[in-house]
Amino acid sequence: MIELKEVTKTYGKGDNTFTALDNINLTIPDAAVVAVVGKSGSGKSTLMHIMSGLDRPSEGSVTVNGRNLHDLKKKELDQFRAREISFIFQSFFVQGGDSCYDNVSLPLEIAGVPRSKRQQRVEKALESVELTDKTRQKAKNLSGGQKQRLAIARAIAGQPRILFADEPTGNLDSATGAVVEELLFDYARANKATLVVVTHDQDLAAKCDIQIHVKDGRITEVKQ
Amino acid sequence: MKRLDIIRRAGRNLKQAKVRTLLTALAISVGAFTLTLSLAIGAGTREYFAKFLETNVNPQSLFVVADKKLVGFEGGNTGPKEYDPGAANISGSSYKTLGQSDLDKIAANKNISSVQPNYNLEATYFTYQGNSKKFTGQVGMYDKTIRGEAAAGNLPKLGTMIGADDIVVPESYLKALGIKNAKDAIGKTITVHVVQQAQTKTTEELQALYAQGGLDALTAATQGKSQDVSFKISAVAAKPATALSDNVQLNISDTRAQELADFTTQGTSQHKRYIAAIAMVKDGVKPETVKAELEKTGLTVKTARDLQGILFTVVNVVQGIVAGFGILALLASIFGIINTQYISVLERTGQIGLMKALGMSNRAIGRLFRYEAAWIGFLGAILGALGGIGLGTLLNPWISRKMSLGAGSHLLIFQPLPICLLILALVLVAIVAGWFPSRKAARLDPIEALRTE
Repeated sequence: MIELKEVTKTYGKGDNTFTALDNINLTIPDAAVVAVVGKSGSGKSTLMHIMSGLDRPSEGSVTVNGRNLHDLKKKELDQFRAREISFIFQSFFVQGGDSCYDNVSLPLEIAGVPRSKRQQRVEKALESVELTDKTRQKAKNLSGGQKQRLAIARAIAGQPRILFADEPTGNLDSATGAVVEELLFDYARANKATLVVVTHDQDLAAKCDIQIHVKDGRITEVKQ
Repeated sequence: MKRLDIIRRAGRNLKQAKVRTLLTALAISVGAFTLTLSLAIGAGTREYFAKFLETNVNPQSLFVVADKKLVGFEGGNTGPKEYDPGAANISGSSYKTLGQSDLDKIAANKNISSVQPNYNLEATYFTYQGNSKKFTGQVGMYDKTIRGEAAAGNLPKLGTMIGADDIVVPESYLKALGIKNAKDAIGKTITVHVVQQAQTKTTEELQALYAQGGLDALTAATQGKSQDVSFKISAVAAKPATALSDNVQLNISDTRAQELADFTTQGTSQHKRYIAAIAMVKDGVKPETVKAELEKTGLTVKTARDLQGILFTVVNVVQGIVAGFGILALLASIFGIINTQYISVLERTGQIGLMKALGMSNRAIGRLFRYEAAWIGFLGAILGALGGIGLGTLLNPWISRKMSLGAGSHLLIFQPLPICLLILALVLVAIVAGWFPSRKAARLDPIEALRTE
């Protein structure tokens, strides 16, 4: 469960203060598939950063899976991100020079999974995104859709309980985008994981259980 | 993240930028190359000198001088000195000399078995039987404390003087003298021509001489006397494999050397004065103990081991100079690493951001970049060391030949341990250089970094 209480995030000081998030109260139950919808600059990305512990709110508290992120030390926060959550980004952030295998292995290495257990998990993750035949290929040789599938494999290899996807289909055509969406929803449903999709794509948002609309740093509407 | 995983990832990251990695490593390899050679020169020359002294110098011998400038590095030519009639002048420098009283003082020590002054011999020329030419060359006293090797004839065993009328010719003289086979020289005669310096006479003395013996007496007195001394070649000395340099001189016995020295210096301030003397310490007595005793009397004494120390000082200086160049090259390469790694951090902000988002700690990120620097350092060090070893091994026979080091002696000796330590040190240097860029990487804001692509 993700719980935000009176979360405000401001940047800058004095007259230059910019309020990215303004008094957000929000609860996302476990295993929910949620869309955070809003235009560019609405604050939806900041909201994701704060929910995932990448950024700290200026005010208010964030509780994820029963833990108040504010109370965690830097090291504990890193461990929390490594073990419990994962990310998918619009521009993939796969490491082109590395093989698909090494890309997927990265979060497991970060989380300190022993080498003997890594192989099986990496192979399973690659299998679930149908990239088994590309295991030893360099990521830069993949197509856009394949890269995003690789990013999904990397995200799910560590079996996170929460998955954040920031415009996951933004750089893809509708056909490949649909495949990526399917993979994300499948993972969330099969593993009872929480999926938070940040998007401005109404069609994608409509497929989620909950739609949270954000505008100018405020939640304007929550549709169940 | 486990250290081994970081090291592996660092290595892989470098493989993805092969050219850049190699170029940066090559900069380090220049320093590594030079430092490897400096280590090899140091090891080689030290071993060479040690071997040389061990085989050539009797450890019980003491080298005694009156003037410590002769054996130190203080340098002789430090400005004008007050004239001392007993002092010897060598290349404009004045040195205190040993007199008979000094020799007696040394001989009086109960631990000394013998004292032998170094006679100051100056032969005007010498001739070889059956050859009408006159040759100039060094004539010196046979050194019985140094073991020699005969190419022909027989040399006495260590510690024994050659016969009074014997002469030992160095092998390198044979060609000039027209001797094809060393054996042919044995038993032949060499005649040394020495001239006594003209003596200064007062006007009164000259007048007296003229009055007594006329013009002939006057000419004889002012021209200086000369003398021919003949020797029989008893041996041709071969150049030992471990000789410091070609010690080329005609070696004559101590009795003849003394006679010739006394004759040529007759009437001069150098008569019966000696630059140095060799004293032999009795067996079973430590040369260092005797040295301390003799030095109390104001003499300067060097043991065989001191001699090694002096030679090693020279080695250290040479080695230091070569190492200095290596360190300079290394300094330049440090900036190369810093630059390369900074660019690498800038290029990979997205990657860094992602790794941070996935929970990689700042420490681990910093480590990743430091290990990359370490890999570069390792690669450069290995390349440089291998290059140095390769080139040195190739050149060693040639250098040995050019410097006449003798068979089996090499100027460059590559020892595994110092080279391994050098590689380790260079890896550490690279890590230090990589510290600045790694700090930048560790401090990157992940949110900013993820926005870059």
